Amino acid sequence: MRKLTARIHSFESFATLDGPGTRYAIFFQGCPYRCAYCHNPDTQVFAGGKEYTVDEIVAKAVRFKPYFRSGGGVTLSGGEPLAQAEYIAALEAKLREKGIGCAIDTSGAVPLGSNVRAAIDGSEMLILDIKMPDDERYRRHIGGSIDTALATLDYAVKTGKRLWLRTVIVPGINDSEAAIDEYVSLLKDRLCGVEKYELLAFHTLGFEKYAKAGIVNPLEHTEALDKETLARLQRYLDNAVEQIAAARK
Amino acid sequence: MDAWRGFTHGNWNDAIDVRNFINLNYTPYEGDASFLSGATERTKQVYAEVEELLKQEREKGVVDIDVDNVASILSFAPGYVDKDKDIIVGLQTDKPLKRAVNPFAGIRNASQACEAYGYKMSDRVWEQFKFRTTHNDGVFHVYSKEMRAARHAGVITGLPDAYARGRIIGDYRRIALYGMDRLIAEKQRDRELLQSKVMTEEHIRLIEELYKQLDFMERLKKMAAQYGYDISRPAENAQEAVQWLYFGYLGAIKEQNGAANSIGRISTFLDIYFERDIREGVLDETGAQEIIDDFIIKLRLVRHLRTPDYNDIFAGDPTWVTMSESGMSEDGRPMVTRNAYRVLNTLYNLGSSAEPNITVLWSERLPEPYKRFCAKVSIDTDSIQYENDDLMRPLYGDDYAIACCVSAMKVGKQMQFFGARCNLAKVLLMALNGGRDEISGEQVGPKGEAFDEGVLDYDKVMDAFKKYCSWMAELYVNTMNIIHYMHDKYAYERLMMSLHDTDVERLMAFGVSGFSVLADSLSAIKYAKVKAVKDERGIISDFVTEGDFPKYGNDDDRVDDIAKWIVEYFYSELSKHETYRGAVTTLSILTITSNVMYGRKTGSTPDGRKKGEPFAPGANPMHGRDVSGALASLNSVAKLRYTCCRDGISNTFSVTPEVLGRCEDDRVSRLVDMLDGYFVQDAHHLNVNVLNRQKLIDAMNDPNLYPNLTIRVSGYAVNFNKLSKQQQQEVINRTFHASI
Repeated sequence: MRKLTARIHSFESFATLDGPGTRYAIFFQGCPYRCAYCHNPDTQVFAGGKEYTVDEIVAKAVRFKPYFRSGGGVTLSGGEPLAQAEYIAALEAKLREKGIGCAIDTSGAVPLGSNVRAAIDGSEMLILDIKMPDDERYRRHIGGSIDTALATLDYAVKTGKRLWLRTVIVPGINDSEAAIDEYVSLLKDRLCGVEKYELLAFHTLGFEKYAKAGIVNPLEHTEALDKETLARLQRYLDNAVEQIAAARK
Repeated sequence: MDAWRGFTHGNWNDAIDVRNFINLNYTPYEGDASFLSGATERTKQVYAEVEELLKQEREKGVVDIDVDNVASILSFAPGYVDKDKDIIVGLQTDKPLKRAVNPFAGIRNASQACEAYGYKMSDRVWEQFKFRTTHNDGVFHVYSKEMRAARHAGVITGLPDAYARGRIIGDYRRIALYGMDRLIAEKQRDRELLQSKVMTEEHIRLIEELYKQLDFMERLKKMAAQYGYDISRPAENAQEAVQWLYFGYLGAIKEQNGAANSIGRISTFLDIYFERDIREGVLDETGAQEIIDDFIIKLRLVRHLRTPDYNDIFAGDPTWVTMSESGMSEDGRPMVTRNAYRVLNTLYNLGSSAEPNITVLWSERLPEPYKRFCAKVSIDTDSIQYENDDLMRPLYGDDYAIACCVSAMKVGKQMQFFGARCNLAKVLLMALNGGRDEISGEQVGPKGEAFDEGVLDYDKVMDAFKKYCSWMAELYVNTMNIIHYMHDKYAYERLMMSLHDTDVERLMAFGVSGFSVLADSLSAIKYAKVKAVKDERGIISDFVTEGDFPKYGNDDDRVDDIAKWIVEYFYSELSKHETYRGAVTTLSILTITSNVMYGRKTGSTPDGRKKGEPFAPGANPMHGRDVSGALASLNSVAKLRYTCCRDGISNTFSVTPEVLGRCEDDRVSRLVDMLDGYFVQDAHHLNVNVLNRQKLIDAMNDPNLYPNLTIRVSGYAVNFNKLSKQQQQEVINRTFHASI
């Protein structure tokens, strides 16, 4: 039998923002998308990274189990982790044996094949990045179609998966109340199973990585989103989500 | 009034047994911080006066020095911050922050300290000490050439041979519980018992020590009487209990200026008195907090007169009024009380502060609300440290306290012979150079075969290193034996030891520095190709390293096993040698701030560190080499075995607020996760700083920006502005675990 391996970009032993509790984050190498505002452009190509077997990763992750006391665990991020879904399903099974749960931090960039479904089934939760409010802007800013993301979302809702949504707010692209309205109207029927919908600020800390990786930075003149705007839009979104919930009752 | 009214009786009534009293009488508190009170108007007014004095001190270095009177229990008239407003009274001299001259450990040191601040020690003091042998004199009468050379080269330095040793915790609680007369009677009985025995050298020494103890116990009563208190009887209420206890501590630090004079584990003990007063309706929460606030103000005013040399090893004018709190009792109850919260609350009521050095004895089983409050206080103030009670309790029981930074001892039952540290990174360089000091070129260690230029062979290096480690261990133990013999003889801690059992257990605490530099150096030699380069003197003074090697601090067993081996080996070497007074050999990995000074005295090392560059503090991985994230760094340190490092394994950790989480609630949860996850792996100590590097850079460039900026450095906290530029730079260069 061939030994299952994945290409891994890097690890973060104290990830506190990507899922509940304290997380051990594994950044998979390679992503089908080419988001204009990607802050980890060095994870985009599939050819990079280093190969690891499932056992190698399990051995690393169990070292951090003592810190997972309040609902923490492993977060599979990237890159696009679901692009290596077969591996992920195997990794999740092995970690489960060790009493460690996984969250998948995905853009929903991969069509919903059996491997992707198995990977989602094997996770404790999904953190799904909804990038743009319509297909046209997905094609323009992301380099893909909205369909796979929505299919991933629908599958997670249908199977009752614990679910967080995220959207990065980029100045000049979606930093307005009107844009938030568009996201809400796209998602409103699917929000029932969502535990948290979080907006993230576009920042420029990844710019160095473009230069280093020799990739053209499409937003090199865009400034980081200020905290106040982010807080304002988050409040606006929370309010809209609450109204939907109230209307359903 | 019956001082013991309402208390449950037990063995403590018949014998001096404070632990038994606490266990039978304390009330665990498992609630949250919502009961706490803010500072009263009185507290605010008094602290405003103190802050004005602190400002003067920042500007001038010292507020004042009394150059005429030698420090002792009765040499100064009573002093007050504000005589009408003080609730807890007593100062080291007649004025707050005025420093006293204490020449018992070494008169030259005392005189130099005066000069450093533009004062001159009076002729009267010189005259008084003209025919007196100080501790420092005694040591140098006996030191061998080899000891002097090793000390001079910086292989063993920072030794308490010119200053007082400290690290002894008197059981000041005994005064409150029993009153001085009962304690005096017990000591008299001990003396009579000894006098009936064979007059061996050991017995004669102990009888003479008891004479000294009794002498100072009487003097302490007189000191308290000057403030209008009669401490011959037990304390009758909460305010008296705090006052009695503080008088004991005050007497001790009037007499002794040891590096670290810690106050012990007191909050649970005192809480019993607070609870009784509250129950009796004579005290409310505001009043209780006010007593604690005033007590803490006094502890923030503790000062000793130090030389610039001293500041090299103990930067920032620390006094280590280490105050341990919480932990679990042996029968499984949390020893968290309301008083544990009140002590932490002083960091809000009075603002953050380096002293007292609040030390939380952490257990996985501590109540969750208390864990969260500690984490919140850490995030807000960077003023507390954590030590693993689940690790120490099996060795020390449930009535130990921390002296200095990380040294555990049973209160009143164990004392320590403090021994600074030896420089193991330098021992490696000496092993390569056949015993010659790579900086001066002098032969310091025994003459051995020097290594040739070219690629270093790991096995050969290890053989040589082990040989020189053995030599170092023997020399170090012998040096310590001399130091503590002389300290007992010429600078005996009369009052502190009177508050110990007569039959005390002694620990002899050795230390290592350059720990992570050594681990990485050996790893480089083992896993990469390290070429030794000789200079014109024929001494290996530089290295060329080809290829990568695993570095300590990344949870990588290849190098972490080397790190573990270093302490285990050195400890076993130390343990081979006989110690003064049959002391138990212990070891610490703790540098205080001497990592900068030790680095200055050490040539380039095989790990790539250049000559003169600072070491990492304590057991910390080298700055910037722990690149696998915060928890991987902690996991590496957690692997070191406490059983061979019973004097403590210090780890100082800085993390930015952003990396802990987006909101306060998340940050608190993540910090609790971190502490639990680290300690459950049998790690020993963690200093936690939650701040941004930029804040420190701004503070370095403009000290007025953050005049009270407190930061944990190595087992203690300092006011950042009190560090030298080089020390500030070293703190700034440390790894800050930040987000990507």
